[in-house]
Amino acid sequence: MTATTTTATTGDQGDSKVPPSRGSAQVQTRRRRRIPIGAYVCALILLVIFLFPLLYLLNTALKSQAEFVSDPVGLVRDPQWGNFVTAWNTGDFGSYILNSVLYTAAGSAIGTLLTLVLSFPVARGYVKGAKYWSVIFVLVLFLPNALITQFQLLLRLGLYDTQLGYILLVGVGVGVGPLLLSGFVKSIPRELDEAAAMDGVGYWRYLFGFILPLARPALVTVFILQAVWIWNEIILATVLLADPTKFPVTVGLYAFKGTYGNQWPLLAAATFIVAAPLIVGYIFIQRYLVNGVVGAIKG
Amino acid sequence: MAETFPFPRRTPVRVTFGLGMLLLGIFGFVPAIGVLVASFTDLRGLPGLPIAFVGIQNYIDFFSPAKWADSANALTNTVIFAFASTIIQIVVALAIAVLLNRKLKGRNFYRAVVFMPTILGVTVTGLVWSLIFNVSGGPAASVLQLFGGRSAFFGDPHLALALVILVQVWMVLGVSVIIFLSGLQAVPEELHEAAEIDGASAWQRFRSVTVPLLAPAITANVLLGIVNALQSYQLIYVLSGPNNRSTQVLSLLVYVQGFGGASGTTLSQSQGYAAAVSMVQFVLVAIVSIVALMILRRREAKL
Repeated sequence: MTATTTTATTGDQGDSKVPPSRGSAQVQTRRRRRIPIGAYVCALILLVIFLFPLLYLLNTALKSQAEFVSDPVGLVRDPQWGNFVTAWNTGDFGSYILNSVLYTAAGSAIGTLLTLVLSFPVARGYVKGAKYWSVIFVLVLFLPNALITQFQLLLRLGLYDTQLGYILLVGVGVGVGPLLLSGFVKSIPRELDEAAAMDGVGYWRYLFGFILPLARPALVTVFILQAVWIWNEIILATVLLADPTKFPVTVGLYAFKGTYGNQWPLLAAATFIVAAPLIVGYIFIQRYLVNGVVGAIKG
Repeated sequence: MAETFPFPRRTPVRVTFGLGMLLLGIFGFVPAIGVLVASFTDLRGLPGLPIAFVGIQNYIDFFSPAKWADSANALTNTVIFAFASTIIQIVVALAIAVLLNRKLKGRNFYRAVVFMPTILGVTVTGLVWSLIFNVSGGPAASVLQLFGGRSAFFGDPHLALALVILVQVWMVLGVSVIIFLSGLQAVPEELHEAAEIDGASAWQRFRSVTVPLLAPAITANVLLGIVNALQSYQLIYVLSGPNNRSTQVLSLLVYVQGFGGASGTTLSQSQGYAAAVSMVQFVLVAIVSIVALMILRRREAKL
């Protein structure tokens, strides 16, 4: 706690474009600014807070159990790359990751498609009672924790412990999606609808051929927000899936911890196996992802 | 009500909208409304058992002396967790967003790093921090030892909740930062320059130019933060397990009561009771969000 709050306060001060001294008027008249050392120091602290835990994880993952017991904190002396092989062979992480990718991709795709087909006609007033439907979009955010009934619903539909059932339940978790997209649709001129209709474009072709590409930044955000949520989901998966071969990686890794909880190097190696593809994938898409989210929320 | 509809036929709208609402209805709203219904029954986890309506018995139980110790504990933890994590998250995220909005070298990299925990997910985050707060010789324990202290961390009932809040903030900070960054980019540069020429100090500029213009982003962040924090329990589940009393929040109580885990309690595996706990949580979320929204709206208007 203390570490984070410290950055907060220093971050505030470091932000000042000029030192907050009283006689700073003369400094401000200069257009060229010095290198903001304070800001870089803050950025460095930030990096340490966010990267140290991962580096420490890697350090632990490379230790042998004996070395970890004798010296848990120190830098690794004799890297045990074999830990990764052992962890990979003991846990079934390849298939867990594949499951997670499937759930995340399918669930977010369903959610984004839902968001599109629901938000556009409501934002435009193309369905009766659009006002009431838009209230529903807000209500979606405040639904009660339905763990019990979600379980009962799937049980009664015969979808308990099926991948389809889990995907459907996470897929409808659209969250702020419809609100975000409704806002975005309003920035697309209505005249475009009319012009397209005049040229004989049907509703579906217009929705998927015109609105979809135009609203892409907003749709990407909707997709990402939902994907992040599904990727992190663990409780619903614990409750709705019984067969370990269907577990997403969150549950799989948690189960691994249950079994090997006292063998930290092995557990750290397993955690790293799960984290590594995410980090690598993230490096490739991060610019698109982070800037995409910024841009879309702005829009 | 219906606006002029430019397209030749209405059928396609009705088909896709209807199908979409049907899907959302069955898998989104039916369970949500079902919770209310289930909270008045003695529903059990196993299929095939008869279900009887028990009126408001589950709610009476929740507030009954026998259960109140657990209920009050979960209520208090939920409120502390939600408020502390939301406030810390917003203050820290705003500071980081202001920092990363400057034209620093490599700022895209910093942004990416701050957002990264969101991608890593709860289990990885939970395990990494369990490792750091490892009682036998983790780095946190070693630092404490330098000062002659020791701690059980997640095993310490006075500290566990604070640590969970810390990790929660670490994990979800990125999303708030991004929302603030997008708000900051909408603040026109000229306003800052004008204030600078008028001799406003950095803090004054932040206080009187940036914060008021960020009001919508702050509202969005506070609401999202409160709603998420009041309902989030994934991280707590991974960090300290479902049965740790000092970090037991309402959502975890729902899980424990509905799907076992707590052996020996009188009502374990009672999904009707768990549904009632969900409803208590729902009412709490609703009240807190409405109050927060009202306060923020009034502030927005004043600024």
